Amino acid sequence: MSTITLTSSDGVDIAVERAVAERSVLIKNMLEDLGDSGEAIPIPNVNEAVLKKVIEWCDHHKNDPPSASDDDDNRRKTTDIDEWDQKFMQVDQEMLFEVILAANYLDIKALLDVGCKTVANMIKGKSPEEIRKTFNIQNDFTPEEEDQIRRENEWAEE
Amino acid sequence: MPPPVMPQTPHKDDLEETWSFLESGINSVMHKLEDGVDMKHYMALYTAVHNFCTSQKAVVSNQGLQAHRGGSSAITRSLLQIAQSQEKEKQPLTVAGLITAHLLGEELYKLLGEYLSRHLEEVQQKSTAHTEEALLGFYIREWTRYTTAAKYINHLFSYLNRHWVKREIDEGKKNVYDVYTLHLVKWKDDFFEHVHSKVMDAVLSLIEKQRNGETIEQSQIKSIVDSFVSLGLDENDSKKSTLEVYRHYFQQPFIDATRKYYENESRQFVAENSVVEYMKKAEARLDEEKARVGLYLHSDVTKSLTETCLDVLVTAHSNLLRDEFQVLLNNERQEDLARMYGLLSRIKEGLDPLRGIFEKHVKKAGLAAVEKVNSEGENFEPKLYVDALLQVHSRYQSLVEEAFNGESEFVRSLDNACREFVNRNCIAQANNTKSPELLAKYTDSLLKKGSKAAEESELEEMLVQIMTVFKYIEDKDVFQKFYSKALAKRLVHVSSVSDDAETSMISKLKEACGFEYTNKLQRMFQDIQISKDLNASYKDWQDKVLDDDDRKRMTDAHFHVLGTGFWPLNPPTTAFSAPPEILKTAERFQKFYFDKHNGRKLTWLWQLCKGEMKANYIKNAKVPYTFQVSTFQMAILLLFNEAETLSYTDIEKATNLAPEVLDPNLAIFLKAKVLLASPEGGKPDPSMSFSLNYNFKNKKVKVNLNIQIKSEQKVETDDTHKTIEEDRKLLLQSAIVRIMKSRKKMRHVQLVQEVINQVKSRFPPHVIDIKKNIEALMEKDYIERLEGEEIAYIA
Repeated sequence: MSTITLTSSDGVDIAVERAVAERSVLIKNMLEDLGDSGEAIPIPNVNEAVLKKVIEWCDHHKNDPPSASDDDDNRRKTTDIDEWDQKFMQVDQEMLFEVILAANYLDIKALLDVGCKTVANMIKGKSPEEIRKTFNIQNDFTPEEEDQIRRENEWAEE
Repeated sequence: MPPPVMPQTPHKDDLEETWSFLESGINSVMHKLEDGVDMKHYMALYTAVHNFCTSQKAVVSNQGLQAHRGGSSAITRSLLQIAQSQEKEKQPLTVAGLITAHLLGEELYKLLGEYLSRHLEEVQQKSTAHTEEALLGFYIREWTRYTTAAKYINHLFSYLNRHWVKREIDEGKKNVYDVYTLHLVKWKDDFFEHVHSKVMDAVLSLIEKQRNGETIEQSQIKSIVDSFVSLGLDENDSKKSTLEVYRHYFQQPFIDATRKYYENESRQFVAENSVVEYMKKAEARLDEEKARVGLYLHSDVTKSLTETCLDVLVTAHSNLLRDEFQVLLNNERQEDLARMYGLLSRIKEGLDPLRGIFEKHVKKAGLAAVEKVNSEGENFEPKLYVDALLQVHSRYQSLVEEAFNGESEFVRSLDNACREFVNRNCIAQANNTKSPELLAKYTDSLLKKGSKAAEESELEEMLVQIMTVFKYIEDKDVFQKFYSKALAKRLVHVSSVSDDAETSMISKLKEACGFEYTNKLQRMFQDIQISKDLNASYKDWQDKVLDDDDRKRMTDAHFHVLGTGFWPLNPPTTAFSAPPEILKTAERFQKFYFDKHNGRKLTWLWQLCKGEMKANYIKNAKVPYTFQVSTFQMAILLLFNEAETLSYTDIEKATNLAPEVLDPNLAIFLKAKVLLASPEGGKPDPSMSFSLNYNFKNKKVKVNLNIQIKSEQKVETDDTHKTIEEDRKLLLQSAIVRIMKSRKKMRHVQLVQEVINQVKSRFPPHVIDIKKNIEALMEKDYIERLEGEEIAYIA
């Protein structure tokens, strides 16, 4: 079992099992292209805390079958999240978003899905006002704009 | 923390800076890949693409709402962007739906495309310096470099692929491809289009060199093929590839060149060489081209390459080949015939004309073989005739097997030819049924004791061969007649070589013609078996019933009781008064039999009976001679127990035998010197008298006098033919009645056809005979004629 080293954006080296690191398609491609030189792999966009969190997820999922095809509709349509992942995602909003961004950057599709589903579940059933509150979004629509939007989306509010 | 570990990336909002950073990276991948790419640089390039695509500059637009929305955090915006690209369903999340994020990347994609175009233009410039094989080398080198780089660049730009490109493609935009495919498209448009014909010229001249026997570097062509194949992109799905480019730019010119090459070659070769040589050449070329596909072409070409080669090498010369067929047959050139078959079987309808020639040839050979038998005189052995037929058959059967792959159509031609010469030749002419007759007689000679085929396996093999000829015999009923006559004799005279052989032959016939055909033959066997048991119980009965006096004068006798319906035997043609000794024996058995089976009738077939007599009167013999005689002969000789000399009339009166039977038997006695005639010499006639020869001498103790008389044989054959005619009439009538009974009404023509169908397995009926028998049945009121051509069954 070979081990590689990742260096976080804040310069911390983290040793990871290669198979775990290769949950990231970015790392997998790079190792394929360049070969494992033994050098630490710099990850410029992810800091230590987030990277560790991501690695934790990868480690737990290292034996998952390689994600089925991209168009696995069943997986995408539901917002169901397995228990371990739910617990894993019980972090503050900041961390949650950082994990999602990191998954997107590192190209870890399954983790990205779990992250987005978690956010989706936070939105589900909430009014626009509640959503704004949840995510700390300022309402910058004019009343006219709001009217127009409401009209356009009447079909969804039954 | 020391920042140098982290790679330096350009400002994410700055397109120009980002691109110039990327371009230098791409450049080193494209041109200096052999120096290796370091990990930091790799990550930096990927990150630069990622950062640019996720930069703040996202233009948010929705139906004219262009306002840059402050307030939302950068993270939220990115999230929305991600959600957008992830989200497939049209039903939007309430908030996200309001904002159609514009994914960034178009600029990078465009710049990358422009970069590739510039690169390829350069490559194309350089390519003009090369021709022929050097051009191939150049093309392959550049292709390898380019596609290797493409794989790297595709990974470096994978963020672009996953988001901007994916979105464009999902929205149905044409002419947007993933980065790798973009490389291929550019190669095709900006380089390939300019060089493909020159490249192909070089490829084709290489192949031509190889066809001419030179050694070439095949791997070059293989690489070109692979490159052309890679360039085939499915317009609708860039992930799939098609063979269109390859087919159009490679396959077509290749096939055209092939056709031209072989047209020239074969034309020239045929002019200078024999047909046989040409066939070898064509065969070799076809194999060679087939191998070529495996060596360096795409398997897709197989079909059209084969078709082209066959067309040019075989079809174009097929008449020439076929003209040679008769010559090869005449000279029995099996190997060349096989070669011709191999070639012509591969083109459409290539073999059809050969089949007719073959059929004619076999027929001719068969007729010639029979002619030869016939030329040796009239009284040839049936074996000679059957062997002649078999020899021709087996020679051409093995030819069909060996040279024509046992192909069913040639088997059919062989069968047709054999059927012809077996049934119609100079010995078996129309309306005589010599073939089945001779075949049956030959069979008899094999199954009779004293045949030469001593080994059982050998005999079995010969029976199998007989069945080969039998299969072709049209008048199977004639064979049946002769066969059953001969079988009857073998059984009655206990002269079968073995029961196993007899059973084997009957089961073969049954297999060929069905139960009905052999039914009577099997019944004959049963009768013989039953008779054995009967004789045993007769012996027991005698032991109980006879007194000593009876026993003393008893002749030891064995009886066969044969069912009239199954045996092809007729009552004696002559009157006969059996001598008292025999009469008594016969009557005793009759009494026993009638006790057992009340109401049955026994007819004594005296002409088939035989026995042995001891000649005690010949004094000079140490052991008395035993005469093997027929019952008729026995009756004559027994008369001499009472008298020394008897006149012809005495004998005639005492035995009651007709002169046709009496004379030849007397002649046998005279010839064997058992009796002496006075006056001496000449044929027996009523003026003669006969006396016993007390000085009879013979080398053997057992003397067989029961010899079949020539004239009897002839009569028998004629009789058999007569019964055949009679039987055919019955067969036809029963077929007509059977058909009419089931159909009730039928048109005349149909009826005739149906009768032919039912009867043809036994003999080929003449329509006239069928009509005659229909008339006959009308007279007998089995059927009647209705209006028109219809015939009805009268119940």
